[in-house]
Amino acid sequence: MSDGSQTMEPRDEEGGGHEPDALRRKLLKLAGAAVALTLAPGVTVLARDLVVKGSGGRKAPVRYGLLIDANACKTGCDACVRACQDYNGLSHDPGPDNAQWIRKVTITNPKTGFSRSFPVMCQHCENAACVDVCPTGASFRRPDGIVLVDKHRCIGCRYCLMACPYKARSFVARNVSDQKPWAPRGKGTAEGCTMCVERVEAGKLPACVAACERAGHKGMVFGNLHDPKSAIAKRLSEVATTTIRADLGLGPSVHYRGI
Amino acid sequence: MRVRAGLWAVLAVVVALSGVWAAHRGRVAFPVIAMAPGHCILKTAEMRRTHMMLLRAVREDIVRRDARDTRFRLTHCVACHVERTASGRFVPVNAPGQFCASCHAYVGVRLDCFDCHAAVPARKGFTAGTALQAAFRIPRALRGSGGQGPGGQP
Repeated sequence: MSDGSQTMEPRDEEGGGHEPDALRRKLLKLAGAAVALTLAPGVTVLARDLVVKGSGGRKAPVRYGLLIDANACKTGCDACVRACQDYNGLSHDPGPDNAQWIRKVTITNPKTGFSRSFPVMCQHCENAACVDVCPTGASFRRPDGIVLVDKHRCIGCRYCLMACPYKARSFVARNVSDQKPWAPRGKGTAEGCTMCVERVEAGKLPACVAACERAGHKGMVFGNLHDPKSAIAKRLSEVATTTIRADLGLGPSVHYRGI
Repeated sequence: MRVRAGLWAVLAVVVALSGVWAAHRGRVAFPVIAMAPGHCILKTAEMRRTHMMLLRAVREDIVRRDARDTRFRLTHCVACHVERTASGRFVPVNAPGQFCASCHAYVGVRLDCFDCHAAVPARKGFTAGTALQAAFRIPRALRGSGGQGPGGQP
């Protein structure tokens, strides 16, 4: 660790207790509290969300994200879910082993009766738990922030299904037929929302976002979070938004308004 | 004497076994490779030897490195080499006797690409034409000349 010179201080206070765990905990606390951490003269890490590690402080040019406006999302409308199923060749039936790359969730505050319905999918986390736990490196995060399963490497261990707090991953337990050429999927692999990576690369919107627009709700904004001129970045700077389970510190790319 | 007799017996057994082997070999259908219209993206002999390496390298590029403008895409292979029935329906390339399956059956190599990947093109628009647009970026020297002869003889 290059920041050893600064982080040695806690051990001195402990009087050479030689408890690595205690030290580590203190270090973590220290690191968590710091907004700006000086690694070496002239090199400062700001928030991890803004600066790419090892990039010399350069911001990643692209990080794709979504802003979902729960105020605009209509209860009972499942246009985004159906569009996802159609585009990616998933079944419409809610069978026990049918995949749900995106699903509608309704939350209600029992005390006030306040209720909101909104879609939840893979949150494409910056510090994705699925990537962390994957034993083969099949779960990975692309430079543009999209989290994918490399099914060529996936061994079907399902650690990612367990690790994801958003329940965004699912497992293909049976043979699949009639796949779409742009969405290969097969038995024995984990899968999840791909943010319609092929469409995005072709300059199109993800299927769910396009469907929401077609349905006239305009409840979803897609774009590059790192481009201040993009619609999503502008909107995020204007309205109060949050991420689901922000306390976990996974840094989701999917932001919500009105929940 | 007994040694010589033993040797003759061994030879006889070997000859008999090779006959059985040959007969068995005859039962596996010789690959029938329908040539795609237009150019192959590589020379046939080269493609026959290296297609699995190309696909393996390219799948890393496409999935992990966001390099989707590659020429050797499985979807392009399928788009060019898929056959149609008389009624115009696509026949999966991994169906018995089809482009991929006939060779793989002959050499006894399991073909698992299509456990996950689509073995037919998605829509009628995306066929040989689309795939060839990609193929035309290949230097002429490397390009094969499919569609002209029975290039499928191993």
